[in-house]
Amino acid sequence: MHFGGIYEDEIVGKAYDRRLLARFLRYLRPYRWLVVWSILLLPFIAAAKLAQPWLLKIAIDSHITAGRMEGLPLLSLGYFALILADGLLTYLEIYLLQYLGQRVMFDLRVELFAHIQRLSASFFDRTPTGGLVTRVTSDVEALGEMFTAGIISIVGDILVLVGIIGIMLWMNLKLSLVTFTVLPVLLYIVFAFRTRMRTAFREVRARLSNLNSFLAESIGGMTVVQLFNRQQTERREFTRLNAAYRDANLPVITWDAALFAAVEALSSVAVGLIIWYGGGEIISGTLTFGALVAFIQYIEKFFSPIRDLSAKYSIMQGAMAALERIFGLLDKEKIPPSPPAPLPPGEGGRRPGEEIQPPIQTIEFRDVWFAYNGEDYVLKGLNLTIRRGEKIALVGETGGGKTTVTRLLSRLYEVERGEITIDGTDIRSIPLGELRSRIGVVLQEPFLFTGTVGYNISLGDDAAQGRMEAAAALVGADRFIRNLAGGFEEEVRERGSNFSVGERQLISFARAVAFDPEILVLDEATASVDSASERLIQEGLRGLLSGRTSLVVAHRLSTVRDADRIVVIHKGEKAEEGSHDELIARQGLYYRLYQLQFRD
Amino acid sequence: MRSFRRTYLWGSILLVGANGFALLIPWLLKRAVESLQFPGRAGHSAGYFGLLIVGAAIAHGVVRVFSRTTLLHVGRRIEYRIREDLYSALLSLDLPYFSGERTGDILSRFSNDLTNVRMLVGFGFLNVINTVIVYISALLLMGRIDPFLTFCSVLPYPLMLILVKQVSRRIFVHSKRAQEELAAMTSHAEESIAASVVVKTYRREESRIGIFRELAEKYLFSSMKMTNLRGIVIPFMASMSGLGTLIVLFVGGNRVISGVMTLGDFVAFTGYLAMLVWPTVVLGWILNLLQRGAASMARLNAVLDAKAMVAESPSPVAPESVRGELELRGLSFGYNGEPLLKDISLRIKAGMNLGIVGPVGSGKTTLVRLIARLYPVADGMIFLDGTDINRLPLKGLRDVIGFVPQESFLFSRTIRENIAYGKEGATDEEVKEASRLSRLDGDVEGFPAGYETLVGERGVTLSGGQKQRTAIARALLKDPAILILDDPLSAVDARTEEEILAGLARYYGGRTALIVSHRLSALRGCDRIIVMDEGRIAEQGTHDELIALGGRYAAIHREQNLRAEIDRY
Repeated sequence: MHFGGIYEDEIVGKAYDRRLLARFLRYLRPYRWLVVWSILLLPFIAAAKLAQPWLLKIAIDSHITAGRMEGLPLLSLGYFALILADGLLTYLEIYLLQYLGQRVMFDLRVELFAHIQRLSASFFDRTPTGGLVTRVTSDVEALGEMFTAGIISIVGDILVLVGIIGIMLWMNLKLSLVTFTVLPVLLYIVFAFRTRMRTAFREVRARLSNLNSFLAESIGGMTVVQLFNRQQTERREFTRLNAAYRDANLPVITWDAALFAAVEALSSVAVGLIIWYGGGEIISGTLTFGALVAFIQYIEKFFSPIRDLSAKYSIMQGAMAALERIFGLLDKEKIPPSPPAPLPPGEGGRRPGEEIQPPIQTIEFRDVWFAYNGEDYVLKGLNLTIRRGEKIALVGETGGGKTTVTRLLSRLYEVERGEITIDGTDIRSIPLGELRSRIGVVLQEPFLFTGTVGYNISLGDDAAQGRMEAAAALVGADRFIRNLAGGFEEEVRERGSNFSVGERQLISFARAVAFDPEILVLDEATASVDSASERLIQEGLRGLLSGRTSLVVAHRLSTVRDADRIVVIHKGEKAEEGSHDELIARQGLYYRLYQLQFRD
Repeated sequence: MRSFRRTYLWGSILLVGANGFALLIPWLLKRAVESLQFPGRAGHSAGYFGLLIVGAAIAHGVVRVFSRTTLLHVGRRIEYRIREDLYSALLSLDLPYFSGERTGDILSRFSNDLTNVRMLVGFGFLNVINTVIVYISALLLMGRIDPFLTFCSVLPYPLMLILVKQVSRRIFVHSKRAQEELAAMTSHAEESIAASVVVKTYRREESRIGIFRELAEKYLFSSMKMTNLRGIVIPFMASMSGLGTLIVLFVGGNRVISGVMTLGDFVAFTGYLAMLVWPTVVLGWILNLLQRGAASMARLNAVLDAKAMVAESPSPVAPESVRGELELRGLSFGYNGEPLLKDISLRIKAGMNLGIVGPVGSGKTTLVRLIARLYPVADGMIFLDGTDINRLPLKGLRDVIGFVPQESFLFSRTIRENIAYGKEGATDEEVKEASRLSRLDGDVEGFPAGYETLVGERGVTLSGGQKQRTAIARALLKDPAILILDDPLSAVDARTEEEILAGLARYYGGRTALIVSHRLSALRGCDRIIVMDEGRIAEQGTHDELIALGGRYAAIHREQNLRAEIDRY
């Protein structure tokens, strides 16, 4: 049996893309001195590396074979100093490059995150969270590798290679040419092996990913596996994938070992050549022992950069692919696409961007239409007026469009047709920050952040921080908070998992109060909770709504009873409107909804 | 592991061979230099030794490839074995285990911990053996050339070992810290994105960005710390090995001049000394690997040794045929100290259709799951055809039960494979028949690839209703004596659910069927309906009896009629 789900996350892109790199260069600008320094260091590192064999040559030729002791200690120390300088400069270079890389990654990461935070709510409906998180983490990380093993170090490698070739040619032209005969073989082997290894490695990754997704699925569906007694089938398939993964790994090991061995062997072949040809030259007196030893050392230094060159090529490919994805996300629109509605002159219309004066007197929905996708309208010409000091309850069946009303008012989504006005001004011409600071929204599902209880109320806002305790007291959250070991400093775990549903609701109520909005929009939770939580929430609601203009999507009897006006939303339209008693007397839709939803 | 012993031995022999050839090269070099220095005495020309060097180099390369592949392949093979064992362990573990463990944790054991162990048994073993061989043989050869010089030049090496061990220990510590900081940053990003609506409505974008900046900065600094540690090793190692070379150059140079040593000895000596550097570095690193590998192995053993609470009976009784009569006798069940079912007694005759209703959390799902022994149940509480289900073989019990869970789980395979999952070796005809019964056939025929349509991860390409009907078809194909439907049609509308269940009524035949639903209309055809509340049976009877009773069932019934009325409004 073949199980599908071939998942390939393979990078097959360019290693060099001028357009992407040019854009990326802008991120280096603040650190241009770091770039300059790290490039300036390269010739010094190369020089320190190249001078070592040369010094050895002098030591052998003018001292050891010549039998001159004086000067040898100094030369030995000089040799040691060169090794040390090589090490220190390499360290400095790595440090500079890493620091540069980490800084750029940091900047890019913050920019990406900030950008994502400012994207419109509808963007998040379409885009899975996981992908966005990957952009901020792994993709940026892949760029980091470009700094440690990318362009700049390639430049350094090339500098060393060119230097070695130059020195060898200068030392002994013929011997160099004989030695260099191994180079074409070396280059061929390195690139041929790397291509094989890349293919083999791609295979490994594909199979690992198959194995992992099978495993994850298997763990998730273990109950089904066991209920259907299919352990044997699953085990067989797992074994097949596991063996496939193992078998894909074996050639990678072999190729890797073979490449390493081949490069080493070739370097020894070069040494053999030097001895064979150079030996003759020594006898004929055209070559010294020191030069021979230096030659051998140079050729050894020659091989490792070439061995790594193609690995660096893959890293560049990965980095380019990551850059492409990162810039792709950065080019995504920030604000909702719809332009501000033109305002009719005269009718109290004001210029876009102008602030509204407190206090808000009326909010009006005028013939509002909205669809989340295409022509599938959720709201069909809704009209609604909220006056200062009123408590309006929105009721209706699930999917009728109540929640959409609250989202449109805080401009998480934009009205498609019609308009919402505050004291006559279209909300699209009110600055978003201004609008949202005056209209507080409490979501149906309270979302708690990792952090402390206090942070979850104030969300790090200073003014809200000041009102935190009073807000908690108003909604009755202070009682359970006081009983926590850490009080407001008590730790909140991921998604608030260490708090009950009721407690989470109260914290989110306290949050709304702490931000002290003029108008409160509340989406009551529908989830059935235990009776203790229910009591907590009931009391909290009373505190939350006291003395505030509010629009509540109601699921509770007490909320509809306390409302000044009840608006019944049915299939995207306003079906009924009035006080509780009036609507009950009418025996219409509300009457039935009431019996259904609020008989508690 | 024992079966790999010979491979390990063989790999070690190869390692000795590879090192033998490697050690030959500096010696040949020495001979070559000597032959050049004193052309008459060596007996062979430098060219001859050059040729031998090429030969030794090639032989070394070949044997090296074999030694490395032998030992590193063993690492992979052992990893494979352990992974097989781990998966077998998972297959035998039960629902209580999986609800206590996070999938991510289990997966991390399969990847990170297993990698640590593999590194130890492959790479670790190879390098420890290699280091031992290289050290012993190189030191012997160097000692033969000049014992005093050998002693002086290897002086810095113990220091080197200690240094690498210390630094790599700190690297592990810091890399763990950096990983934690990366995780903190990632979860902050994840949380901020998931809560983007909250962030927007409270205008906290800047504040969230500020926190993110701090976390990213922390991560930056610990990454830099790591880089620094990694980088600082380079000049230290350079100075250590440089010190060795300095000693050789100075002391050795002296000895060559004074004639104690030949130039060839000097060249060979430098070569041998250089061979010691890498094994020393790797050894320091491996000493830390040992610790990590042991910790990882402990975590793997925790999975391998985990015991399922739902265990096979020591003396299982396999029934010859199953009629499908179920009896619950005072069934009580609690989980994590919370009582979920309290003293339920019920007799479900073979061929009976039982409807189960009740509010969320009333114990409906727990009840049906216990019948399939997904949770451990005490002896003497549930009986199938008069036999305690704990005494039946687990496989036998589940073979006679067709269970459709609330959340229909599909595998990311084709629709056909998902349905055929119900029965090993199911024919295409059977698959089609099952999907006809669950009313999936119409949908499938609409797909371009028909039954060969890949359903994607967890069935994402199908609608909720299609997934649920696929899961039903799978259970029907099993042809079970007892069919359990745990509210599997919540994602289709009421009328479709009624239609599907009405269609199934014919399929039931002599089968016992337990149907959980939140829609009463779906249960109208049941012989008997129980109403659950807070872990007990609150009411039971036929639909008409329960309506006449005027209790909870009647209240739910009224509510659902109202809802239908509102929907039509």
